[in-house]
Amino acid sequence: MRGRPSRRRMNALAAIAIFGALIVLAGVVLVPILATVLGGFKELGELRVNLLGLPRHWVWSSYWDILASARYWRVLGNSLLIALLTVTLTLALSSMAAFTFAHLKFFGDKFLLNYLLLGMLFPAATAILPLFIKIRDLGLLDSYWGVVLPQVAFSLAMAILLLRNAFKQLPTELLDAAMMDGCGYFRYFLFITLPLSGPILSTVAVISFVASWNGYLLPLVVLDSESRYPWTLGLMAYQGQYSTSWQLVLAFITLTILPAILMFLLAQRYIVAGLTAGAVKG
Amino acid sequence: MNVRRYALGAACVFALAVPAFADTNVTILHVNEVAAARTLWDKIAADYNAAHPGVKVQFKYLENEAFKAKLPTMLQSDDRPDLFYSWGGGVMQAQDKAGLLKDVTADLTDAESKMSTTAVNAFKVDGKAVGVPFEMGEVAFYYNKKLFAQAGVKAEDIKSWDDFLDAVKKLKAAGITPLVVGAGEKWPMHFYYSYLVVRIGGDGALADAKANKNGGFKNATFVEAGKRLHELAALEPFQAGYLSTSHAQSAGVFGDGKAAMDLMGQWLLGMQAPNSASGKGLPDDDIGILSFPTVPGGKGKPTDTLGGVNGFVVSKSAPAAAVDFLKFFSQDKYAKEAAATSAYIPVVKGAETAITDPLQRRLADDLAASTYHQNFFDQDLGPSVGRVINDVSVAVAAGQTTPEAAAAAIQDAADQQ
Amino acid sequence: MSTVEQAHFEPAKRMTANSWAVVVIFLPPALLLFTVFVALPMAEAAWYGFYNWNGYGRPDRFIGLKNYGYIFGNPVFGRALLNNGLVIAVSLFIQLPLALAVALAIAGRVTGAVAFRMIFFLPYVLADVGAGLIWRYMFDGDYGLAAAVAGGLGLQPVYLLASKDWAFTAVLVVIVWKYFGFYMMLYVAGLQSMDKSLLEAAEMDGAGPFQRFRHITLPLLGPMIRLSIFFSVVGSLQLFDIIVPLTGGGPFDTTHTMVSFLYYFGITRMRVGFGSAVGVVLFVICVGFAFGYRRAFMRND
Repeated sequence: MRGRPSRRRMNALAAIAIFGALIVLAGVVLVPILATVLGGFKELGELRVNLLGLPRHWVWSSYWDILASARYWRVLGNSLLIALLTVTLTLALSSMAAFTFAHLKFFGDKFLLNYLLLGMLFPAATAILPLFIKIRDLGLLDSYWGVVLPQVAFSLAMAILLLRNAFKQLPTELLDAAMMDGCGYFRYFLFITLPLSGPILSTVAVISFVASWNGYLLPLVVLDSESRYPWTLGLMAYQGQYSTSWQLVLAFITLTILPAILMFLLAQRYIVAGLTAGAVKG
Repeated sequence: MNVRRYALGAACVFALAVPAFADTNVTILHVNEVAAARTLWDKIAADYNAAHPGVKVQFKYLENEAFKAKLPTMLQSDDRPDLFYSWGGGVMQAQDKAGLLKDVTADLTDAESKMSTTAVNAFKVDGKAVGVPFEMGEVAFYYNKKLFAQAGVKAEDIKSWDDFLDAVKKLKAAGITPLVVGAGEKWPMHFYYSYLVVRIGGDGALADAKANKNGGFKNATFVEAGKRLHELAALEPFQAGYLSTSHAQSAGVFGDGKAAMDLMGQWLLGMQAPNSASGKGLPDDDIGILSFPTVPGGKGKPTDTLGGVNGFVVSKSAPAAAVDFLKFFSQDKYAKEAAATSAYIPVVKGAETAITDPLQRRLADDLAASTYHQNFFDQDLGPSVGRVINDVSVAVAAGQTTPEAAAAAIQDAADQQ
Repeated sequence: MSTVEQAHFEPAKRMTANSWAVVVIFLPPALLLFTVFVALPMAEAAWYGFYNWNGYGRPDRFIGLKNYGYIFGNPVFGRALLNNGLVIAVSLFIQLPLALAVALAIAGRVTGAVAFRMIFFLPYVLADVGAGLIWRYMFDGDYGLAAAVAGGLGLQPVYLLASKDWAFTAVLVVIVWKYFGFYMMLYVAGLQSMDKSLLEAAEMDGAGPFQRFRHITLPLLGPMIRLSIFFSVVGSLQLFDIIVPLTGGGPFDTTHTMVSFLYYFGITRMRVGFGSAVGVVLFVICVGFAFGYRRAFMRND
């Protein structure tokens, strides 16, 4: 290696400095999260006065009671089912639409894209009543699909924009070569576009998952049966009109973040796999 | 003889057969998280279901904000509850106007005759009953006896507003925070304003203002209430940072013994211990109850009370069994049990004798002897005007607006309705 | 060194049967779902803006443009607009650059990259009800982090969330904390999709890290950056979820955003028509921005 030694040392120092900065930032970011996790081990009153310290006595029962309750696993399962359905459908529909907008030019394509864009610009909170009526009229009340389909619909705009952006950045030579080999658009989509878009697809998946996971208002108005409640509604058991058991709420929330983290790690692993597959080079 | 016995037998068989045709589900949606109340209600439902085979009554709980968010949509679906929790007032009237409630006057006159008249009236719209109350509460000053003694303040001596201000000054001089209020949520502060209106204007004040008489909300009563509140706030009696304190935090502060008084509803008794830093709060012996003082020159009587009235209203599509259940629910024996277990203060007359907790008993006695009971302003007036009252109460206390501007803001909100 | 230009993908000039098959099969599902569950409800919600309606039954008190009069006459709306502007400014000048800087540091296969990404993304994952509560306690003047800092500096207890002047600054801190991870993830995805060979070639040619960044990374990341700015502004205008548990819009209505204004003054006060009207105003502002921005900056994207 003929690199100048001083430059290598500078690079090493820079790397260490950057790493240090990251550690500091991570610490700052984590403080509230740690407070949340620790909060589940404290008593309600202590939570208010001793936010950042370790608990005076470690109250294990909050976490343990939740983990041992059938309700926790049921709401977790419901949230997971709803979120996975949402993610799958979102990825499928948005990638198909994004592909069309990225590669094809036809009458009305700009109009349709702008139409979809408009969906991001109106606050969803105002549309709950008419949305409810639609869901009711379609007979989807109190069902998982009644939650999944609207969630997919609302996340389409952002997903399509992101995916279209990414699809357009794939090198043109690929499509030209494929077309010359007689490969149609469908096969190109399935066998080239999608596999090469690992990072963006997994990012869209994670964003979509988190949005669904934390969704509250839509499941609240659509679902009636407690057996179908996702964890955001299951939380109500700890909240009251005048008084809420915040320590239980925090413990519950901590326990429900874990699947989202798992999803994140899975999606990240997929990227690593995609990178090492050595896609576009040469 | 034989024929008659045969007929009787046939009648019995027929009577036993009929309920099997009527398999009804009755859903009751509510927000009550008090454990004692829920245990009692589940028991009442079980008793009723046992006595009426073919009918299944079920209580269903939703958290308060979730309940308010979901109810408008739920009432438009087939899954609507048959009975649901209500605070009376403007929301109930809106629901009735939209044709969502059932007139149950005829069925429930009997049960209602045994209840406090004020409570019953709180669930009437234009003279017809749309529901039935089960609970009444009172807002009063809860005070810390030890802190009072420390400052040399005697609760018995606080009768008028001026006595009250003196007590506040004495507490402050002794280095004690006189009042704690969860003004971050705004509604705790509106208790002060509401009570002042009640003490100054007497029992016609709010009704007149609603009917736009005497200048509506801009009349002298409301302006003076604002002035008195401002007068109190000028003494800086509240805990530091009170504008961002939540209600739960304020209960904790009281339970920690860090403030002398809290103007609050009866649920404070259940909240101050779990929210306190130690988890134990103030022992009951250390807590006293003080009625809101009278205002010199005011038309209100010291026995007028302010507090919530809660009950169940009946959905238009509710089956007969639902109304029948309400009668069953309102029985004396269950009211007494609610009183005895401190689930809530019942509205059935005489049931308060079963209350064992002396503080709750004091509240119940006040209510039984009340000359005029006013529902929470922010419930009575409906959410649109109610929230403005909450907003201006805090604004006046913090000196951000004048009493006149506050009254005008309330009138504006009423006009925009 | 000239900047690298990605060969822009030109859509096919002629629509073939294969192309049309794609359009007919790939577009309708998304369009249908969107129309039924988003477009139609929104149109109906906008229509409510002409009514005085409490949410029960059907709207029946037509009042034309009166709701809009109430909106513009309400001083809180002006403050909400200003607050939204502040959020946009903070997003563009603090949040996005921070997200980009962090993404650059951890996009590749650096030690602990995945762990860092997860940590920085965690605030976004934490539900607002939990985040709002914890931050409210953090800012508590008596016991929270604010108290610890004030105590350490020997100052009087500071009640940030009770102060008209400082409450929104506190809210801005929470917003940056909560959302920068989201944009970081977008940039990480963008960086990972980049063709590494260009960077390697430049390094071989002796280009330093800053030069590589300016002439290769930044242009290649251009579309993603422009898109993230778009999302950031739109997201800032729609901000709502964190306001409710953190401040509820207070103190004295100084921390409202347009959507929280809509929620508190419209929906919770049973003035659904008024709320819808605010939604329409917000929509018009967003549309104005969206189309202006795309026209000016995203012509080729």
